[in-house]
Amino acid sequence: MAKNGIHRIFSRVVKIKPGELKISFLLFFYLFLVIAAYNVIKPIRNASLLEELGYKWLPLVYLLTAAIIGFVVALHSKIQVKISRYLLITFSIIFFFVSCFIFRFLSGFGWQGLPVIFWVWANIFIIVLNTQFWITVNDILNPREFKRLSGFFISGGILGGFIGGVLAGLLAKENVDYNLLFLSAGLLTLCALFVYLIFRWQKREQCVEEKQGKKGEDRSETTSKPGFRDSYNTVKKHKYLRLIAAIVVLTLVVSTLIDFQWNIVVKENKEGDLTSFFGYFNAGLMVFAFFLSILMTSNLFKRYGVRISLLLYPIVLLLCFSGIGIAVILVTAVIIKGSDKSLAYTINRSARELLFIPVSPDLKYKAIIFIDMFVDRFSKGIGAVVLMIVLSFGIQDYKEIVRIVSFVSVVLIFGWIVLTLRASREYVNAVKQKLSRKWERADQLVEKELDVDFSKLVFDTLESKDRSSDLYAMHVFELMKRGKLTPELRQLLSQRSEEATPSSLSAFFETDPSALMQMNDQYNNEDVLKKEIQEIMSLDVYEDVIKKYIENVLSDTSKDAVTARMEIAKGIGFLASDSPLVEKLEEFLRDDSSEVRRYAIESASKLGKREHVPALIQSLYDSSTHSDASAALEKYGTRITGILADHLGDSEEKMEIRKAVASVLAHVGNQDASDFIMCELAKDKGEMDRELIDALDRIRSEKPEIEFSEEIIKKKTRQKIKSYYDLFIEFAEAESKGKKADIRRIISHELTISMMVIFKLLGLIYPHEDIVKAFQNIQTGTKDSVAYAVELLDNMLQKEYKDYIFPLIDDISFEDKVKRCRKMLKDLEKTETS
Amino acid sequence: MEIHARAKDDVVIFDIEGEIRRSDVTDVTLHQLVKDQLDVGKRNILLNFKDVEFIDSFGVGEILASYISTHNLGGKLKIAKISKKLYLVFQVTMLTKVLEIFDEEELALTSFMGD
Repeated sequence: MAKNGIHRIFSRVVKIKPGELKISFLLFFYLFLVIAAYNVIKPIRNASLLEELGYKWLPLVYLLTAAIIGFVVALHSKIQVKISRYLLITFSIIFFFVSCFIFRFLSGFGWQGLPVIFWVWANIFIIVLNTQFWITVNDILNPREFKRLSGFFISGGILGGFIGGVLAGLLAKENVDYNLLFLSAGLLTLCALFVYLIFRWQKREQCVEEKQGKKGEDRSETTSKPGFRDSYNTVKKHKYLRLIAAIVVLTLVVSTLIDFQWNIVVKENKEGDLTSFFGYFNAGLMVFAFFLSILMTSNLFKRYGVRISLLLYPIVLLLCFSGIGIAVILVTAVIIKGSDKSLAYTINRSARELLFIPVSPDLKYKAIIFIDMFVDRFSKGIGAVVLMIVLSFGIQDYKEIVRIVSFVSVVLIFGWIVLTLRASREYVNAVKQKLSRKWERADQLVEKELDVDFSKLVFDTLESKDRSSDLYAMHVFELMKRGKLTPELRQLLSQRSEEATPSSLSAFFETDPSALMQMNDQYNNEDVLKKEIQEIMSLDVYEDVIKKYIENVLSDTSKDAVTARMEIAKGIGFLASDSPLVEKLEEFLRDDSSEVRRYAIESASKLGKREHVPALIQSLYDSSTHSDASAALEKYGTRITGILADHLGDSEEKMEIRKAVASVLAHVGNQDASDFIMCELAKDKGEMDRELIDALDRIRSEKPEIEFSEEIIKKKTRQKIKSYYDLFIEFAEAESKGKKADIRRIISHELTISMMVIFKLLGLIYPHEDIVKAFQNIQTGTKDSVAYAVELLDNMLQKEYKDYIFPLIDDISFEDKVKRCRKMLKDLEKTETS
Repeated sequence: MEIHARAKDDVVIFDIEGEIRRSDVTDVTLHQLVKDQLDVGKRNILLNFKDVEFIDSFGVGEILASYISTHNLGGKLKIAKISKKLYLVFQVTMLTKVLEIFDEEELALTSFMGD
């Protein structure tokens, strides 16, 4: 109960879901303590350098840090290969804990080099512990969880920065008070405790998931632990990681330039009590960043996606540089420094970490090590070199220096924006790669894997064996003609039938296995046989003889005549399409016997004559000939698009036929076919929507170049979403009223179908493969693959679609989903009436 | 191709030898020979293919033309001892439905008696 109460309170501010409360707070306090400890150390670092050596040493210490960090990264990599992640983090904390006491001890000697070493140490402190925190977060969360919760963790860090800064300010007794290191050591002790709790939680969660058989992607301990060279090679090899690294470089070079501008402007415009000024500024900055993080970061990502969130930081800085370029005053310096730090702590940190989420755990870990621990410092080194070059011109006017630095920064920011746009594109690709296709369209799979025509022919051949030796011979001939009379098939066909067969020439195929072999040997060139038969059938005398025979058979109404009609229906298929005998096929297409009709349909398919199309279309109505008629019509291809469209749009036509025609048009699959289907879909009758949408989906899956009317799809999607909302509410009511399980199951199935229809519509205007993957992963994926699917849609769909579709797929509780459905339903109805 | 005619009761039997090909057309065709027999009042014709090695579509055309001529005059034309290969061709072309085909000459002759 208490837990639920806490969850209710926090879920109003932060989107924490049940079950996430504990780990969210553990991570919040982890970062809080790391940053608080650092913000106690930071004033000592700055004060000691500025007081004892002066600000001109800043570029030098930036450079020194960049150089030394390479060794630290190498050492860190070597250690982490040998020990677990938990031990690595714990040892790091212990190392910095002990270092605090050592620096306090050394400070007593008044050694002049100590501020430089302390500066470098302080930077290593924050790089190592901060990086380890984000690696831990990456191990635990998927992209959706990260988007929701990162703002909360960052708020913890900002709050830690504020508290650390305030404590440092309150407790500092001297200009440079190394005694504050005891406070940092205390905070680190608490931090070690939280790290222990986090890893214990993670272990338990993994055990639970394994027990439930839900084990998804293992994001933590099994990840390999690379060395520095390996990390460097990984980043070098992958375009996406190179892009992230390049963005980090530009971000930090610009940030270093801003820091320099800030110091120089403050130094020139503010007299006395600089430490106090910096302290108040830092505290104010933290408060601003805190609210920015908690109120804006998550919403920004959620609402505007990765691209806009990533672009916000450089664009704001671009505006700020324009400001300080025009007026080099304290206010513009405060604005630019405030913007830089607050955005760097909040949106930029989250955006950067989010970019890493779709990267595979192994690559991610290597890249984070390299980027956060090396590129980060290296970039500051570059910034320092840029500053040294600017200062080397010997310009005395500080305003001029600030303007030159601003100009350099603006140029860098343009590069940063270009890289950001490319990275956001690559991010979506990386998310796509996390999703795999679960299944193919069944009809396409069957077509791909099976030669349906051949299978049917084999079965018909076997079936005809006991019915009529002539029919059987025709089938065997057809198999030969198609070159499918393999030795295995010959053996199968040569097997004696269970039933007794007459011992005569007419039965030699059935009774004499060698006959088939012999026949095949004689006709090893099947073209000879084919040619001979064609020639016979084109003889005038043949036509005379067979015409009469056909008329006799047609006038015979006895039961026995069915087999004869089947033979003729089959035999007509061997005739040339211009043979006068072909005219007779019409009567067989309308025969009372479905068996006769089936053979007639097959012959019509071979002959491909337009006059048979109406009869074939009518055969779609009969379930016994439906699939044969469909297949026959499909073989006509684009020639009959118009006539099919007439039947599709004819409201007087039987519904079953119109639905089947939609499917045939899908197989035809040209632009005209899709336009006709789309036209029918636009009529808003609704009764054939599923078939029409399925037909369009098939066309889309096979011919991505075909275009569809977005306007119609948009309208239809809204209708379908509305229907889904209605159905979902019906389902919720059935649940709450405890209706029969059967009814609930039916509605649940309908919901799945309804969802599939919505995604098929989306697939018509968005990349089909991506939409299919997203749908399939939402339907059947693990927790992570569902999250990646939603993330992909988040980055792909337009806002208007996202607003209506996300309530259906977002990972929220059933009750929340019902509430959102009701709300969105009202919104949709309002929009419709307006 | 060689064709020898002989009579047994009221049945005229044509013993055909060799190959019936378009390329080997002679002055006197099978159809002509059958028509000659029809002209002299014979109505029961049996074509014996025992020694036929090959027959092409021209040959089938000859058989069918003979069949039509006989049939139109109320006669009967039957076939005996055709090869398995030709039988397959007749089956595929549905000619087995029109032509009466027998494994043995004797059987064919007996069948004339029943007509």
